[in-house]
Amino acid sequence: MDTPMIQVRPSRADALGATSTFGVALPFLVLLVVGIAFPLFGGGYWGVIATRACVYWVLVSGLNLVVGFAGQIAIGWVALLTLGAYTTSVLVAGNVTPELSPYLALAIAAVFGAIFGLIVGLPALRLRTFYFAITTLGFATIVTQVALAWQSVTGGGVGVAGPIFPRPFDSQWGFYYFCFGLAAICTWMTANIAASRFGRALTAIRDAEVAAEACGISKPALLGAVFLFSGAVAAVAGGLFASLQSYITPDAFTLDLSVLFFIAILIGGRSSILGPLLGTILLTVLPEFAAPLVAWSTFLYAVLLLVIVLAMPGGIAELLDFKNRRPLESGRAIVPRPELLTRLLAAPAEAGALTLEQVALAFGGVHAIDGLDLEIRSGQIHGLIGPNGSGKTTTLNVISGYYAQQSGTVRLNGTALPVLERHRRAHMRIARTFQTPRIVGSASVLQNVMIGGTIDGQGTFVESLLSLPRHRRDEAMLRDTAMLALAAVGLERLASVRADRLQHSELRFTEIARALMLRPAFLLLDEPAAGLSAEEIGRLGALVVAIARAGTGVLLVEHHADLIFDICHHVTVLNLGKNLAAGTPAEIRSHREVVNAYLGG
Amino acid sequence: MPISAADPLLDIAGLSSGYGKIGVLHGVNLAIGAGEVVALLGPNGAGKTTLLRAVSGLLPWSGSVRFAGRDLAGASPRDIVKAGLAHVVEGHRVFTQLAVLDNLLLAAYDLPRGERSARVEEALALFPEIAAKRHERTAALSGGQQQILAVAQGLVRRPRLLMLDEPSAGLSPVLVDRVLVVVRRLRETGTAVLLVEQLIEKALALADRVYALARGSIVLEAKTGEADLPRRLEHAYLATAHAD
Amino acid sequence: MVASIVSTGLAIGCIYALIGITYNVMFSASRVFSFTAGTLGMLGGVLGSLFIARLGMPVAVGFLLALAGGVLLGIVTEIVAVRPVLKSLDQHLYVLSTLALALMVQQFTAIEWGTEARPFPRLFDIARGGFDQQFWLPMLACAGVIVGLELLYRHTLIGRAFLAIAEDTYAARALGLPERSLRMASYALAGAIGALAGFAGGEMLLAFFGNGPMLTFYGFVPVALGGMGNNRGAVVAGLLLGLFQQTANFLVGGIFASVAVFTVFIIVLLARPEGLAGAAVQRRV
Repeated sequence: MDTPMIQVRPSRADALGATSTFGVALPFLVLLVVGIAFPLFGGGYWGVIATRACVYWVLVSGLNLVVGFAGQIAIGWVALLTLGAYTTSVLVAGNVTPELSPYLALAIAAVFGAIFGLIVGLPALRLRTFYFAITTLGFATIVTQVALAWQSVTGGGVGVAGPIFPRPFDSQWGFYYFCFGLAAICTWMTANIAASRFGRALTAIRDAEVAAEACGISKPALLGAVFLFSGAVAAVAGGLFASLQSYITPDAFTLDLSVLFFIAILIGGRSSILGPLLGTILLTVLPEFAAPLVAWSTFLYAVLLLVIVLAMPGGIAELLDFKNRRPLESGRAIVPRPELLTRLLAAPAEAGALTLEQVALAFGGVHAIDGLDLEIRSGQIHGLIGPNGSGKTTTLNVISGYYAQQSGTVRLNGTALPVLERHRRAHMRIARTFQTPRIVGSASVLQNVMIGGTIDGQGTFVESLLSLPRHRRDEAMLRDTAMLALAAVGLERLASVRADRLQHSELRFTEIARALMLRPAFLLLDEPAAGLSAEEIGRLGALVVAIARAGTGVLLVEHHADLIFDICHHVTVLNLGKNLAAGTPAEIRSHREVVNAYLGG
Repeated sequence: MPISAADPLLDIAGLSSGYGKIGVLHGVNLAIGAGEVVALLGPNGAGKTTLLRAVSGLLPWSGSVRFAGRDLAGASPRDIVKAGLAHVVEGHRVFTQLAVLDNLLLAAYDLPRGERSARVEEALALFPEIAAKRHERTAALSGGQQQILAVAQGLVRRPRLLMLDEPSAGLSPVLVDRVLVVVRRLRETGTAVLLVEQLIEKALALADRVYALARGSIVLEAKTGEADLPRRLEHAYLATAHAD
Repeated sequence: MVASIVSTGLAIGCIYALIGITYNVMFSASRVFSFTAGTLGMLGGVLGSLFIARLGMPVAVGFLLALAGGVLLGIVTEIVAVRPVLKSLDQHLYVLSTLALALMVQQFTAIEWGTEARPFPRLFDIARGGFDQQFWLPMLACAGVIVGLELLYRHTLIGRAFLAIAEDTYAARALGLPERSLRMASYALAGAIGALAGFAGGEMLLAFFGNGPMLTFYGFVPVALGGMGNNRGAVVAGLLLGLFQQTANFLVGGIFASVAVFTVFIIVLLARPEGLAGAAVQRRV
């Protein structure tokens, strides 16, 4: 309010410089060199430890997408290691089939792993956190019990010999390089995903699920892909694990191992590849430094987990995030540049209308909205006001598919919108913001805005995994558009800052930038002025006017009567779920009933 | 800011509060004298409920809040209730799984065992419509009866100040009058009341003084008898940007 | 044969139901499911065996000390793993904090007590019969807990305060109820119930550190199927689970019985996430 205006020097290089590719890749290159050179200074036993760390990382890299990115608490992932280990060993030993080559067996294990990864993972689509955690725990228990009981195949408690890979991978260092190579590939692939629209969408599902839906992200499809991948690499890790152990029994697959995998990720930090990688190395190596501690290792892991959860939820990744410890400039002001909107929203928005016809919805006998008619036209700002409980937000939630109306229709350019199916709204170019900003706090502002354009990418999950050209084109396109959107709302200087460091008002403008990524035909704003200073409200108003001028139809749900009256072309007043009055701001302002409704008369 | 009583019962100065990063109240000043009925009005989202929550210790705040001469900084909701400041929260949130009587006994939780039923009976005596249903499960009560029960809960402790958050919401006009009659009777017994209400005319008819809150700040303070009050209120509601 | 299946099934079912009630008592006070529920059961068995069989204490003393151990772990859970994360924005942190605590207790037990299952002493010096104490003790414990909880909730003010907090914590705080002490008391009570489950079922389950995750899983099944916070649902579902498991045990063999239980659990959960008995929790609008 009383902060002085600060001259903004828009500088793209400044915003992007902090995330230079080399800086990000450097630690991985160091690890790569150390890994390749390792046999030069490591002794025989350390070779086993190093191989084990590689094998674990193959599993953890995939699990990291599930736990660290998608935020699904899968604590029983050892089950997939068990599955992979037994599948590979049994196929190579020829207990049920002719003896297969280890490579073929490993590939089959990967397919089994993918299938079971999907089966174990899918309950996550319906179950809440703890339920899902318990489900994976139960699955881990069951798989071990089956391995014990199915003697004809698994050898029961006696066990089965692990596969031996043919030359040159039959020696200790040969096998090490085999595992190291796979670990490096997994690192590269998951890092590709992490830096793709899929990785960002996963974090959106984790931290801001409703916003992810509003951006058109399909949770089943995305989580399905991740569970397939994660299950496959876990099973491959199982095959390598069996070979490393040379003989496996069900005892080898304790829950302790699952705990290690899981905790390595949390110690490493969410939405990070490097952190969990370091966490895995740390947890594998640590017990070797203090032999008496080996028995206590799981206990110590658990202590670490508790400390991490209570004191350092960001994990190693946050410790290493020096860039975000630099203090932000205080007294910074958001200065939108509405003139950029014409470039951003350049797609010729055909004139059309979003209409509500006799829409009604009651919650347990209370009419939230009761026979509401509304028409939002392209290029116009439609204000929706009314006292508490008059049905404003409910209306917005019906349009964006969060609630199903009990009667009436919502039409987009004459075509009825499907009831619910909120993630399809984005495909129809209907974007929205939320009363409380829904943001991925651990991601940068730029990444948050890029989430808004997820559905405009062309490449598939596999293309991103392998960083194929279409993936790279998508990323470049999304980055450019997002920078433009940030510049338009006046936040481009904060592009590389972690979003949870922003002020409330900046988060609101970030959400608008994210919504603009859809090049929306219609934009629904849910109380965008709440918590903003008078000056910021003025800038918000100018921005919204410019958005409408670029052809977008805006529905503005607001308490701030002044903002509504200043910028709207058309205002609808709701009271008790009904249309109390509609007209131009001037008409509404002098409407006696409206004044009374507002004053509760 | 004028204060009607020499030594206010509740004295709020420079109160700021909100939810996490979202600041809702920005330096609110408000005072209530002993036995005074004060209406707190304001448009949606102005921060009325937040103000009540902050004062009763349900939200963190900064600034100064003094009640009966005592600084409320760091006090828990329980301390504040014990000090004689009762808060009837919005939306008649009574415990529907319990009997009416049990709801009232819980309000008397910190009172000596021997006094509890006497206090509960005292509160029930004010509300025959729920006294008759004292052994029924609260879920069986109508919304209006639940609201009356919530007010009765607030009275069990014989508070010096009762804060009512929209007691009329969702009630039929008859029940609204029932609740407001109780407020009037409270004034006669010397209990101060801070009333948040949407029904402005009824609130004004009842209150000694009125505050209007808009966008987290007090934009109006007046005695209810003042002549141009409705016009000033309308201005405060609909043209908030120009009021400060 | 049928009699054996029924008595074993009901006895095991009672243990599952008690662990389910342990979950519920903690959940009602805090909206948190704690991984320590099964650990408490494990601890009840181990402590009972430690005090009575190894240290030679009288049964009554050993019993009370085992319960005290459960109460202690309950309180520690509340202080260490629940209270610090309740206010956090990320409401799922409790899954991790309680998991960490459960693992710590389990590993500590594995190291100090040993990883092999040890026998649990016979509590009453009476000859083994068809309907042995190992069967009726869990049933008695389960019946005792149900009656005790009913009395607590129906006839004491603190019991009503528990119900109030379970229904609406915010309104309870506004009313001036001592929410924090009540939550702590709930966790202490849950600790005692969990330890009682392990103690009463000690002879069947033995004093074994690995009972922790097993009970954490099987004890949660009655909660999930019976509806969260619903003790009656937990008892019915627990008994059904015990009977089903023992029947499957007899028909298809022990290991595949677990697979059957797991499969049924998943299918039921996916079909009715709110549980078989519970309707969706009503929300105030």
